[in-house]
Amino acid sequence: MQLETEAGAVEAAPALPDDSLVVRRLFKHYGAVHAVDDVSLECLPGEVLALVGENGAGKSTVAKILAGALRPTSGTIELSGAVVDSSSVHESRRAGIACAFQELALVPDWTVAENLSLPDGRALRPFSHRVAIATTRATLEEFELDHIDPSVPVATLSLADRQMVEIVRAIAVRPRILILDEASSALGPPGVEWLFRRIHELTALGASVIYVSHRLREIARIADRGTVLRDGKVVGQFTRDNWTDNELVSLMAGREASRHFPKRPALAHTSLPPALAVTNLVADGLSGVTLSIARGEILGIGGLQGHGQAELLRALYGAVPASSDSWSMGGAAIKRLNPVRAVRLGAGYVPEDRKREGLALQMGVGENLLAPWLRPVGLGGTPLLRQERTWIQSVFDALSVRTRGALENAGALSGGNQQKLVFGRWIGRDRKLVLLHDPTRGIDVRAKQELYSAITMLSELGVGVLWFSTEVEELVHLCHRVVVLYRGAVAEELSGKKLTADAIVGAAVGVKGKQ
Amino acid sequence: MTAAIEKETRTGNITLAALRRVPRSVWPMLAFVVLFLVGGLLRPNLVSVDSLVGTATFAMILAIASFGQTVVVIQAGIDLSVPNTIAFAALSFLTWSGTIGPVLACLASILSGAVIGSINGTIVAKLGLTPIVTTIAMNGLLFGVVLLSFKNSELTDIPEFLTAITAGKVEVFGTSIAAVLPLGLVLLLVLQLILSYTGWGRSLFVVGSASETARLAGLPVDRIRISAYALNGALVAFAGVVIVGFYGQAFATMGAPYLLGSVAAVVVGGSTIFGGRGSVVGTLGGALVLGQVATLVNIANLGSNIQQLFYGVIVLLVVALYSRRTRE
Amino acid sequence: MTRLRREGAVPPIAAFIVFLTAYIIINPGLLTRFQLQTAANLVVPLALVALGQLIIVLVGGIDISIGAIMGLSNVVFATAMALLPVPLAILAGIGAGLACGLLNGFLVAYGRLPAIAVTLASAFIFGSISREVMDRPGGGITTDFYLATSGELLMFLPASILWLSLAAVGLWLLLHRTAFGRHIYGVGSNAESVRAAGINARATTLGAFMLSSILVSFGAIMLAGSTLTGDPRSGDPYLLTSIAVVALAGASFSGGRGSIIGTILAACTLGLVGSLLFFAGVNSYWQYVIAALIVISVVGIPVIVRQVAAAGRRA
Repeated sequence: MQLETEAGAVEAAPALPDDSLVVRRLFKHYGAVHAVDDVSLECLPGEVLALVGENGAGKSTVAKILAGALRPTSGTIELSGAVVDSSSVHESRRAGIACAFQELALVPDWTVAENLSLPDGRALRPFSHRVAIATTRATLEEFELDHIDPSVPVATLSLADRQMVEIVRAIAVRPRILILDEASSALGPPGVEWLFRRIHELTALGASVIYVSHRLREIARIADRGTVLRDGKVVGQFTRDNWTDNELVSLMAGREASRHFPKRPALAHTSLPPALAVTNLVADGLSGVTLSIARGEILGIGGLQGHGQAELLRALYGAVPASSDSWSMGGAAIKRLNPVRAVRLGAGYVPEDRKREGLALQMGVGENLLAPWLRPVGLGGTPLLRQERTWIQSVFDALSVRTRGALENAGALSGGNQQKLVFGRWIGRDRKLVLLHDPTRGIDVRAKQELYSAITMLSELGVGVLWFSTEVEELVHLCHRVVVLYRGAVAEELSGKKLTADAIVGAAVGVKGKQ
Repeated sequence: MTAAIEKETRTGNITLAALRRVPRSVWPMLAFVVLFLVGGLLRPNLVSVDSLVGTATFAMILAIASFGQTVVVIQAGIDLSVPNTIAFAALSFLTWSGTIGPVLACLASILSGAVIGSINGTIVAKLGLTPIVTTIAMNGLLFGVVLLSFKNSELTDIPEFLTAITAGKVEVFGTSIAAVLPLGLVLLLVLQLILSYTGWGRSLFVVGSASETARLAGLPVDRIRISAYALNGALVAFAGVVIVGFYGQAFATMGAPYLLGSVAAVVVGGSTIFGGRGSVVGTLGGALVLGQVATLVNIANLGSNIQQLFYGVIVLLVVALYSRRTRE
Repeated sequence: MTRLRREGAVPPIAAFIVFLTAYIIINPGLLTRFQLQTAANLVVPLALVALGQLIIVLVGGIDISIGAIMGLSNVVFATAMALLPVPLAILAGIGAGLACGLLNGFLVAYGRLPAIAVTLASAFIFGSISREVMDRPGGGITTDFYLATSGELLMFLPASILWLSLAAVGLWLLLHRTAFGRHIYGVGSNAESVRAAGINARATTLGAFMLSSILVSFGAIMLAGSTLTGDPRSGDPYLLTSIAVVALAGASFSGGRGSIIGTILAACTLGLVGSLLFFAGVNSYWQYVIAALIVISVVGIPVIVRQVAAAGRRA
């Protein structure tokens, strides 16, 4: 066996214990895209192996292949020396490999009991719901989840509960290899402790856990060894005691941890009415937010995911119903809002999911850009008009969009270029307020830079920007002010000297800052 | 089966990529030409302008009845109330033209088609009922309305004006063709221009291929849907008037063959049943293919059952080509 | 009970109770043996076909060929009755339907083609085959068979009700007491999750189409029995009506939700609208209008109520 680092140094390692999981030369190609590129790894019995990488690095793809949910283009998986038939999840579970998936593999209309009892077994066997509920109750108790009622549909559970049920679904078959794909993403601190207890129980019995995550804090506590993925390739390996955060982050990102941020523009449009002014905004998941954004100001929104940021943006754009004591956008008073009115009043929105909410993947690049601007009568907003074609080109130039032309399908573009399309809609269209939901998530470094420049350009032109980001560095370096949300309400507002990474992270977990 | 379509872009074979660039509406036209020549091989006197015109006329009428369906399918809906909208429009036209004259009666029928369509669209957009259920209910409702309102279920007094613009002969390049052909072509042209080049037309495609994206981009999705169904209703009603003009009779079940026929023409014409792709030119192509199959079956004396069989097989082939759900 | 509410069965049950009450008030004669029998014979084939459509809707699809399958099964059975003993004829009829279900199911599940398009095509195909088998009504159905399927079992208990109940109970056991039945609900609810959980979604879908076609064939045979003829066009009206019944039953057309009892009661409601109007002395053509309004309002009212409630909460 050989362990390699990116530098290419090769060391011979001792022979592996018989019960290890050995993955050899895994490839997964989607046409020209190499989601997994020659990944090999070993997982020893009783150890926790971390699989680390940024979004889009291929960790989830590897996890799905190991679990049997995806067929690899080539490569083998061996457990205890025997090749595992990973043609289906069923076969993999039978071989002893179970996975708690990131997109939960729970059927929403089924009850907890059905989700935990139905997957394993023959289809035509009799099934008694009452028996299943009793068995499930026992299982849930065994795993410290007695607060979950096995007879309710999974769709009615909270996200954290659902994730724990998904984890139990994998653990309950007593697997030899447990794969946890971002299993802690919806769990709060007590949930994470619960998860770690389950992991310890398993490893004590000699089973192994593959912990796929990008949360370095958790990995530091739970992992024995780790493998770092970037762009589908293995770029490094580490063991518990020999790594630092900075090294890991730079391995994951492939560059220096500190990035070049453009200069924050000065606020120059104070004579205009504010881009946004709202008091006591209330919606599902928002318990009364008051904020204001001046024209040309970049207001950052920080906090842990799931604390109301998505709801805030959607409410401000009119995509979900909301009420407030007072609300104005660009000087116009608002009582009720929907996206059509919001756009007419000068708002723009970059949603969370660029593939499902931001783009029409089957349509051309140009048409995607023009989507908000299609006029009901006449040719307005179609590429037939020269002024629209000129505008499309100006957006491509401003954002350095790499494409084969305005007719290319949006679905064929890289993630970074797709994101630029969603963002580019709002450039050069006299926007007063642009709402950004984590626009740089999961895109390559160069595209991120280009988006940063575009955002600062918008600010210089007098557009108010509301920017929710999960990367604290972006908030610190590029925003004029930052508001941190905690449990659907404003926990802290930071600016000037108080605007530091520590202050943001502290407010995000509920620690009150110094006044 | 929730159908999530994200087409895998396969690079690689250059010919394949080039073939993909050809607009989908070309293929049914090509197929029609091939079938036409095949007919000529079976019976040489079939390769004649007369035969071509005959098939084209039948196809054009089916196409006119399917243009509305195309519009609705593009924005990811479907209209199963086509049969009785046709019947209602035809019978109401005949009834009203006695009192307000043929031209006004025609307009009134088309307008009532638009109203029917708006109701369909409103129920789909505002109440959230699926298009299948909504239009099936509407179809039933219209059937009752037709049976209740039009006392003589078989009115036979067709105004001359209508016959002239549908079945009347027009001289084109020395051949005499039914007026419905140029009428249909004009309609085709106007509709295709709307679909390809106007803001409203393009917004149909956005709504059909990614309705959540459309909503979040600030497009008035509900309004677009309702107007699409309204246009559909108007077009189907127009088709009903044309049918009664051409065939010279109207009865309560006259629209029955157009239920499956309109969807078949749209599908064979290359529109995706899930929405986001389609063209009325393609639909005409689909109708031509179906029409030529009917002609071939006729001359081979195989009977109308075999014709239906072929229709089914052709739809299957086209669906297998265009509409496979991606790897799951 | 909560399960019934979850499956959307409350509106059709309520609608049926209201409808039945109105019916009995207008026509107490329903409770006579003859009328019960006639009503049952009218409703039972519709209920069976609608149950068949329900299964397809449960896995998230729709079957446009259901009328054609019914017609094919009907004429195969009627033809076979003239040539074979009754049990074999029944097998032939069900076999014909099963073959249709196999084709549909195979193309949808393994060919990965959309159900609406596949069944559109197969509607043409099955329809043409049934017209080849029999081009006009006929067949060898005997009065004995009529009595066995559509006569009276006991006083006030039509035989057809017995057959429907057997089918309904069997179906219920299959859907709620076997893993396969739960898999059907699962595939319609979220096919991705079902697959990720290790269940064979394709086999489940194929099984659903086969189960559906068996029910439809059963309905076709019952129809043949009660009309004493085989008719290739006999299934045509059942296409649209079966979908209306499933809608009225509160099933979700994206899959995963729908109840057997709701479907049966919805079939009774829609099936008897015509005769209710007849006894009320209203022009029976109104039945089409009323049926459509029933479907739209029963499905639409909960939506409107929800929207008004949400708006009220926000005010």
